[in-house]
Amino acid sequence: MRPTILATLAALALTALPATARPVPYILEPAESVVGFETDFGPDLITGDMPVKTADLILDFDRVENSQIAVALDVTGAQASFPFAAQALKGPKVLDSASFPEMSFQSTRVTPQGEGAAVEGLLTIRGVTRPVSLDAMIWRQKGHAEGDLSQLTVRLTGAVLRSDYGATGWADMVGDEVRLTILARIARVD
Amino acid sequence: MLRNGAESFGLVSRLLHWGIAGLVVVMLSLGLRLEDMQPGLANLWLYGLHKSLGLLTLSLMLARILWHLYSPPPRPIGGGWQARAARATHGAIYLLLLAIPLSGWIGSAATGLDVVIFDRWTLPAIAPVSPDWEARAFALHDALTKVLILLLFLHMGAALKREMDGDGTLRRMITGRARD
Repeated sequence: MRPTILATLAALALTALPATARPVPYILEPAESVVGFETDFGPDLITGDMPVKTADLILDFDRVENSQIAVALDVTGAQASFPFAAQALKGPKVLDSASFPEMSFQSTRVTPQGEGAAVEGLLTIRGVTRPVSLDAMIWRQKGHAEGDLSQLTVRLTGAVLRSDYGATGWADMVGDEVRLTILARIARVD
Repeated sequence: MLRNGAESFGLVSRLLHWGIAGLVVVMLSLGLRLEDMQPGLANLWLYGLHKSLGLLTLSLMLARILWHLYSPPPRPIGGGWQARAARATHGAIYLLLLAIPLSGWIGSAATGLDVVIFDRWTLPAIAPVSPDWEARAFALHDALTKVLILLLFLHMGAALKREMDGDGTLRRMITGRARD
């Protein structure tokens, strides 16, 4: 995936650190990064999260479209708001973590959109790859001065239909649309 | 008397009969409700309750069979075709009260989710995780339950009829003896 960048932040970056006007590699801070999801369960929501295993990011604050994002998630580490949901999620009828321990996203196109960016890419779940589009925003992390882009927070949001990927278990009880919020904290490779 | 006599029901058999009867009434209404309930966080516990009481029913039925091997129940009052029909119905109800909880357990295990009872104990998974097993086991669970409902009406109707005829069939299951 390619990360999106706040226009204001990009502007700050350009004024404060003109040297960043080129693609810059970032690495993930895995302990601080998580993918949250939610889906409908009758009148309620099932929420949960999944650890981010790896993320390769190249951010270009000058030309957003040069940015690239690739993220892999650890399905086996998924958690949900109640025990049955986590077990159902990882079981063979939904994500089948025994056969497909990883989910991945690879950006194909990043375009500026408002203060952030639209990230189009290929999402692979249960071995099925389909195009998705996510909305991206980037912030400077707390405690960093304006223009300091050494540590950033990337948030990608979007929704997928789990039936598109064959994750159809409990379709009569649990919603098809799964809303995702990927929160990745990243550090520049200096 | 705890044990059954040649013509009387002991306390253990009567307690098992009425205890299981009460459980079955609760389980039938609960099961029929689960069948067309929209699950949510607020009612998820009802599935757990159904599984817990289902295993309790199965356990009590096994205890009942063991008890009856040790202390055989009296024969149906009277004789002829009605007694034979009563024995056949009782036998069928026993089989169903074993097969229905077992099919529910098998179907639950086949979903791949832990079968947890009383919020505490995880039962062994007695079936492979398989949509086929799940669908078939729950279809059987449903069909056998419908047969059970029919047989229970027959059983209750026959007991009431014989009681009204004055042979003490129902009274014997309540007080132990057909007459004072």
